[in-house]
Amino acid sequence: MSIERTRNFCIIAHIDHGKTTLSDRLLQVTGTVADREAQDQHLDAMDLERERGITIKMHPVAMRYRAKDGHVYKLNLLDTPGHVDFAYEVSRSLAACEGALVIVDAAQGVEAQTVANVHLANKQGLTIIPVINKIDLPNSDIPTVKRQLEDILSIPAEEAILASAKVGLGIEEILEAVIHRIPAPKKWDDEKVRALVFDSTFDSYRGVVTYVRMMSGSLRAGDGVKMMSNNRPYEVKEVGVFTPKMEAREKLEPGDTGYVIANIKASSEIKIGDTLTGTKFPATQPLPGFQEIQPMVFSGVYPINTADFEHLKAAMAKLQLNDSSFVYQAESSVALGFGFRCGFLGLLHMEIILERLRREYDMDIIATYPSVIYEVLKTNGEMLNVDNPEFLPDFSVIDEIREPIVKCFIMVPNEYISPLMQLIMDKRGVLDHTETLDTKRVMLSCVMPLAEILVDFNDKIKSITRGYGSMDYEHAGHRADKLVKLDILVNGEPVDAFSSIVHRDKAEGRGRQLAAKLKEVIPTQLYQVAIQAAIGGKIIARESVSAMRKDVTAKCYGGDISRKRKLLEKQKEGKKRMKSIGKVNIPQEAFIEVLKSS
Amino acid sequence: MAKNPIRHLYVHIPFCAKLCPYCSFHVETAMRNKSQRFLDALLIEIERQAGAFKIEPETIYFGGGTPSALSLSQLEFLLPRLRERFDPGRLVEFTFEINPATVSAEKARLLRALGVNRISMGVQSWDDSVLKTLGRAHTAAQSQRTFDTLREAGFDNINIDLMFAIPGQSHEQWMRTLEKTGALQPEHVSAYCLTYEEDTEFFRKLQTREFAQDENRDADFYEITMDALGAAGYVHYEVSNYAKPGRESLHNFAYWDGRDYLGIGPSAFSTVGAQRWQNVPDSRDYADRIFAGDSTASFTEQLSDATKLGETLAFGLRTNRGVPVSAITPWREQMREFRELGLLENSNGRLVLTRKGKLMADAVAEAFV
Repeated sequence: MSIERTRNFCIIAHIDHGKTTLSDRLLQVTGTVADREAQDQHLDAMDLERERGITIKMHPVAMRYRAKDGHVYKLNLLDTPGHVDFAYEVSRSLAACEGALVIVDAAQGVEAQTVANVHLANKQGLTIIPVINKIDLPNSDIPTVKRQLEDILSIPAEEAILASAKVGLGIEEILEAVIHRIPAPKKWDDEKVRALVFDSTFDSYRGVVTYVRMMSGSLRAGDGVKMMSNNRPYEVKEVGVFTPKMEAREKLEPGDTGYVIANIKASSEIKIGDTLTGTKFPATQPLPGFQEIQPMVFSGVYPINTADFEHLKAAMAKLQLNDSSFVYQAESSVALGFGFRCGFLGLLHMEIILERLRREYDMDIIATYPSVIYEVLKTNGEMLNVDNPEFLPDFSVIDEIREPIVKCFIMVPNEYISPLMQLIMDKRGVLDHTETLDTKRVMLSCVMPLAEILVDFNDKIKSITRGYGSMDYEHAGHRADKLVKLDILVNGEPVDAFSSIVHRDKAEGRGRQLAAKLKEVIPTQLYQVAIQAAIGGKIIARESVSAMRKDVTAKCYGGDISRKRKLLEKQKEGKKRMKSIGKVNIPQEAFIEVLKSS
Repeated sequence: MAKNPIRHLYVHIPFCAKLCPYCSFHVETAMRNKSQRFLDALLIEIERQAGAFKIEPETIYFGGGTPSALSLSQLEFLLPRLRERFDPGRLVEFTFEINPATVSAEKARLLRALGVNRISMGVQSWDDSVLKTLGRAHTAAQSQRTFDTLREAGFDNINIDLMFAIPGQSHEQWMRTLEKTGALQPEHVSAYCLTYEEDTEFFRKLQTREFAQDENRDADFYEITMDALGAAGYVHYEVSNYAKPGRESLHNFAYWDGRDYLGIGPSAFSTVGAQRWQNVPDSRDYADRIFAGDSTASFTEQLSDATKLGETLAFGLRTNRGVPVSAITPWREQMREFRELGLLENSNGRLVLTRKGKLMADAVAEAFV
């Protein structure tokens, strides 16, 4: 089939705006899946992703559609992970398409996540087809949604297709629009192989399954290929397309979206955005836009039971097979023992990984306060990237510390504007502008430090707005600020697990909060225990745990001796299991308690 | 057959009119078990033990439960027959625990006549509201009458058991109880901090937070006790025990010194040489085993020399005699730390707990186990 009759597109939608239903409907109408399979045929998502209301990875799917012009078209639908943590992956998936369907719920209107993803699609130069979905709902408000399309997304309202994926309204119109509005893939002058790698999965029998969009040239089993980022050569074992199951094909042609299996052992060998080319007549230039994926958020992850270290290590290795954007490295902490320093694409990615470790691998783990990557400019002009407060150089040699900032979109019902503005201020955000979305909602655009939205920003928005607010963000570079290292000292010794880089104005509050919480959980000792929060050498908060006054059993007679002795033995054992900071014995649970609360 | 004679004999009488909500001792309220059959079983057990060990007690201690729950005729039956089964020639201290509600003048005179020379009275408090919290059957007025009755019957060695840190009890209430006790001038006072023992009603209430524990408040109770009883002329000779000079409990000292003792009756512990065992904690089962000629032990333990030494040091340290400095050589470093913390002091070649250290006896004792 000719490249003129091929279309590659994706769907951009907020949670619950109908992406899954619409995809299912497209598969059904094009006869890709039989009606009876249609309900749950669609792209398997992990439970966790379902719960979080997002889908990270869905298979692409190839459909055939006989259009009203009488021709049969090859339509490739690609999924995009709908979250900014995966913005780079999204951008590569978008780069594999020429157009995007932007789905907006006719009753809910435009949401934050839609805004962020439409921005990404515009950057890629994609043709956008707006679809107003769920028009069958009694509370749908099409005029308002149309105005939002124009005002918020700068999409001409007359282009909008009115649809209801649920009842099957407008599906054909969407398919016709895909054919007529989205351009066919660009033709290249040569036939050299250029395949954009936009995703991969791991199959324990066949190794890495690489998802590619063929830009030029064709690929078949037996071909020699290489990755342009590192020139690693492989032999192609199988090529095929997704229907949505993997189906082997003789070859992949220009414009096709499909998979390549080539004896690749680990997903770490595959880099999203890389260009796959032939070894015989290789392309001279890779496709544009390739970047090494960089973790944005770091945290120490420790087994609660120290004996589980090896299990945790094995679990992380398995997770990484499927997700090469997750990185980890062994580290040890005085307070928490042996664990791993882990890098994540963002907070959601971190939550997903931690939750998968807990659920799928049954690991009991604790994570330290997450950190972003700070750019540290030293007085000698040297620039360091610091993701762990432990490695921050002495402040006397630091010229400035720059922290990553983001542009954040928050959509909220009108009545919550003022508490939301307060929250933004509390989080060191600067409100850029507000836009009225409709009679009920506004969108607040602000610039915020990434570190501030890491921990509980989204939860707070949800709780302030009773669940009606939504938030998304895009990265906006680095900015210097008054950042300091906050240490927590127990009898003068720093407790590594609690060190953090924080803004000077927030250091005292956080220091006081940590010290107070530690005071609650540190058991009384023979000595008085001083708990201090310090910036550099300066103590900014202090608490103390008074020395234990009473540790004595009242009765000790003939019948009590064995029992009493065993109690003493148990008490002694308990102390041995505690972590010793200076001379202070602290149970690991105490550290965990504090980490959980902060 | 142990070489050394048994010098300390304990007899457990497990019956109480009702259960106290804080008590975890082996106690039965079904008084029908308090039968002739049970008394016969006790006599058979002592007879059996007299075959295995040489029993020449210096001290006898009847504990419970409530030994005073035995009737006059039961006492008249049991006590003389018990004495016939060993050599009482060395006996110097014969203690009988009583509940203030169960001793008449007649019973007091009988006990005295049967050779009992020391009484331990479970007064607990001189405040009826506190007694109510404790679920005790007696009142403060009954305790007062019983104390007078005992004196009239000729007892010149009486211990009063008291409890503090009871839910709802104020420091002032406790001070009044101590003052009243001081005014009565018993020879001995045992003052126990309430312990929340597992499987008791009090423990459950602590778990459900109906009751709360506060280390500082409890420590204050201890301090008040030491001050008040010290001022009333008592020597603080063990963590929870105070006596007029020369009136320390010889029987209890045997436990703290790590000496051998033999326990008779259900749930009673014995330690002879390296052996420790406990009788089955059920009076029916106990009697059945006795009559079937079976062993009554439901728990046995072989004590290594190290364990025994550890125990002796750990529990010896609870008394004002302390432990010899020479015995703690392996723990010298730790002991020095405790001395620096003001918990221990050297007194004529012996290590003893300081006033502050008495409240921290377990933290110190832990080193030896």
